Amino acid sequence: MELVERTIDRYVSLSEEEWSRIRPLWREHAFGRGSSICASGQVEQRFYIVQSGVQKLSFAHDGQDICVGFAYNGSWSGEFVSFVTRKPARFDVMAITDSVLLGIHYDDLQLLYREMPAMERFGRLILEQLLTGRAEREIEQLSLSAEQRYDRLVARSPQLLQLVQQKDIASYLRMTPETFSRLRRKR
Amino acid sequence: MRTDQLIEELTTALRAQIARAQWFAQLPADALLKRPAPEKWNTLEVFEHMNLSSGVYLKGLEKVFEESAASLPANPEFHPSMLGDYFTKAMQPKPDGRISWRMKTMRMFDPGRQHGASSESIARFISMCQHFLKLLQQARSTDLNRMKVASSLGPIIRFKAGDAFRFPIAHHWRHLLQAERLVG
Repeated sequence: MELVERTIDRYVSLSEEEWSRIRPLWREHAFGRGSSICASGQVEQRFYIVQSGVQKLSFAHDGQDICVGFAYNGSWSGEFVSFVTRKPARFDVMAITDSVLLGIHYDDLQLLYREMPAMERFGRLILEQLLTGRAEREIEQLSLSAEQRYDRLVARSPQLLQLVQQKDIASYLRMTPETFSRLRRKR
Repeated sequence: MRTDQLIEELTTALRAQIARAQWFAQLPADALLKRPAPEKWNTLEVFEHMNLSSGVYLKGLEKVFEESAASLPANPEFHPSMLGDYFTKAMQPKPDGRISWRMKTMRMFDPGRQHGASSESIARFISMCQHFLKLLQQARSTDLNRMKVASSLGPIIRFKAGDAFRFPIAHHWRHLLQAERLVG
């Protein structure tokens, strides 16, 4: 739970009184490897911070599982679009290793937004961060070569290469598994 | 055996199992994910395994209760079938807590090869036990001998309704003990 405080504290500062209101609304959720955190079609009920483990965000298309992102220690997790729109999820979120996520329910977070201006600011800041990340990834995908995309990933999150199946990383990098293993051998 | 006595025993067992599950539910996530070896189940998967296998009986019982419980006269006696009794006893852990009859898990009941397990698995186990309890309440006024339920042991083996309660509840004990050792 300490992770919740450290994480929120990076964005906004809160009084001890506010903390005692916030803390009990976050709960630990354990997900074993291979289990679903949010399945497409469900409405995401929680917003998560990753305490441990790796999760995959993907969607099914044409019989294939297209991987669009990973979440791991300290990052956000869950199906954020469904969480904010309250509409059925378009993505599947799955634990690919045993994962501990700290989650807050949608209704509780809305309550905090209403009660505390600082928490609403927190909500806005993470949304900005998510949007910025999305834009960066779009540029990477549209302008970088397969080789450059691979190098960026290795520089940014080298641990993923050990923890995630090659086919998922290849799909995330928008390359065939063959190109991926060729690049991997070359480096 | 007397039907009312059987119902009472099973009710007591289910209540105790719910209490055990509630105890597990409040453990830290790390303890619930702990594996004795990378390929072995963690506690959550043990619970999900119970959900998958007992789910077969719950579904079967709900169906026969819905279809015929009301039309059958109450029977004060329940006679386990030979197979139902044999498998129930094989599931029951020995008094010292040891597991007597080890078996290989069928693929369809192995969470690792199905859809995994999470904290939700414990919550679902509790709700499943509550459903069994609800059916047991209706069981007093019907005949547990004459209703038949498909078993989890394969399509050819069908259990009498009474055994379809006894078997999964005995099976729970063996896995609750396993889960205790895992978090121990």
